[in-house]
Amino acid sequence: MLWHKAWIDTRWRCLIGLAVLLLSAMGTVFGYQLVSSKALDITAPQGSGMVAAAIREALELSRTFKGYVWLNAFSQNLSQLGTLFAILLGGGALRSEAPGTLYTLSLPFSRRALMTTRAATGLAELLAITIVPALAIAVLAPAVGERYSILDALVHGVCLFAGTAVFFSLTFLLSTSFPDPWRPPIIACGIAVVIGMFETFFGRVAPVGIFHVIHGESYFRGDGVPWLGLVVVVAISAVLLRVAIAAIERQDF
Amino acid sequence: MADPLVIECAGLSKHYGSTRALDGLDLQVPRGSIFGFLGRNGAGKTTTIKILLGMVHPTGGRVHVFDLPAAEREASVAIRRRCGFVSEEKDLYNGMTVGEIVAFTASFYPRWRADLQERYLRSFELSADANVKTLSRGTRTKLALLLAFCRGAELLILDEPTSGLDPAVAEEVLQLLVSHVAREETTIFLSSHHLAEIDQIADRIGIVHRGRMILSGVLDDLRQDFRRVQAVFDGDAPGAGFATPGVVRVRRKGRTLDVTAHGHVDDVVAEARALGAVAVDVSAVPLKEMFLELVAMED
Repeated sequence: MLWHKAWIDTRWRCLIGLAVLLLSAMGTVFGYQLVSSKALDITAPQGSGMVAAAIREALELSRTFKGYVWLNAFSQNLSQLGTLFAILLGGGALRSEAPGTLYTLSLPFSRRALMTTRAATGLAELLAITIVPALAIAVLAPAVGERYSILDALVHGVCLFAGTAVFFSLTFLLSTSFPDPWRPPIIACGIAVVIGMFETFFGRVAPVGIFHVIHGESYFRGDGVPWLGLVVVVAISAVLLRVAIAAIERQDF
Repeated sequence: MADPLVIECAGLSKHYGSTRALDGLDLQVPRGSIFGFLGRNGAGKTTTIKILLGMVHPTGGRVHVFDLPAAEREASVAIRRRCGFVSEEKDLYNGMTVGEIVAFTASFYPRWRADLQERYLRSFELSADANVKTLSRGTRTKLALLLAFCRGAELLILDEPTSGLDPAVAEEVLQLLVSHVAREETTIFLSSHHLAEIDQIADRIGIVHRGRMILSGVLDDLRQDFRRVQAVFDGDAPGAGFATPGVVRVRRKGRTLDVTAHGHVDDVVAEARALGAVAVDVSAVPLKEMFLELVAMED
């Protein structure tokens, strides 16, 4: 029944997240023909600057469905929305000032069991809102006369899930330290922006960077599944969740 | 033989920085009693309850419930399996319906009393489909009591259960508690600062002040022990204090000395006569006055 309560507490965030990411994935698929035809008309800018290079690459990627999907969905919309909803799902773990907290703590289960169930439920919801939209791209591609490998969609979905799980775990940990529901997601969003900027400007950390894993860039570019990055982000999430559970066990309510 | 203790605390302390919420509290609650836990706001009542239920970790001292150490995690789970709890805020899940919260709670208690559940749902006129968020404070209190009663709990811990209720609903809740205890042989640990309620239903009391127990015992015995001795003198009452032990407070008003004594009443009467009192009257002290006199003495 702890699962049931965790689901009741988070179901709207999960369902809204799933709907938003699914709509984003559908928009990407059905917008392909419009974008690809426009891309043919645009002349690539000359010059050696970062912006010009980025535009040239975007135009180049948009010429194939696979490149277009990666550029628009996995490296932008789904990764950003996935990060946002991971942060929202991670909030409100067990706050002293939340209604029902004392009632929960008066019931006969350990705080560890409660927090573990809450984290597992949140991660299962995050898995759904990252994998389902990724698979939807593969399923919907024939509707616009294209093909997209289920395996590719699955690998990108897993990368998206594993990377965004770090932000879920971070918010989960932060929510053990603040009595209000707002500061943990706001701080986590700020940290996500800082990490994103850091990885953009310091590309050398890319193979183990969180957003590098979320984007699944090495897989897209043919370098295989980013195992090292996946191990790193899973380890970070595990540590953050463990610290959060230990913090709740020590806390007075 | 004395009844076995359900709750036993010795030298219990809880410090928040330099604030001492509990400062060496001693508490014994025998099985089958209705224990009124009295104290002013901030005296340490809620902190004690939270320690009993494992919500707050004590700084020091010993705390046992059902002979299990409440400060240890695994024992605390076992204690909560045998306890019902109603918090002052009637803190329940706003996102659930009555039926959902009942089913959720029941799932953790193998001895859940489905018969009591049906009876109380009917008598409280609680609809299983009603959302907890929409319930009035009185109905919420009744739901919280239902959830506590139906666990088959051996100990009910109630923190200000009538707080915020109108007198009619408060009376209904008290009657409900008394009838439940009579039927189910449950121990009740009732925290309150409403002295009249405690006076009405408790058989034992403990008065906590600034984190320490300043009086504890069987209420009838305390009523016997606490007496007001009114001594009337021919002229102005003497100003000297009483030497007899157990004198809680002495008030001087013109020709009268008003003495509140805890035990040794005969000695107080004898001392009053020795001081030249022409008339001495001994009367009972209501619980409210007992409480106020003791707290004033401690302050």
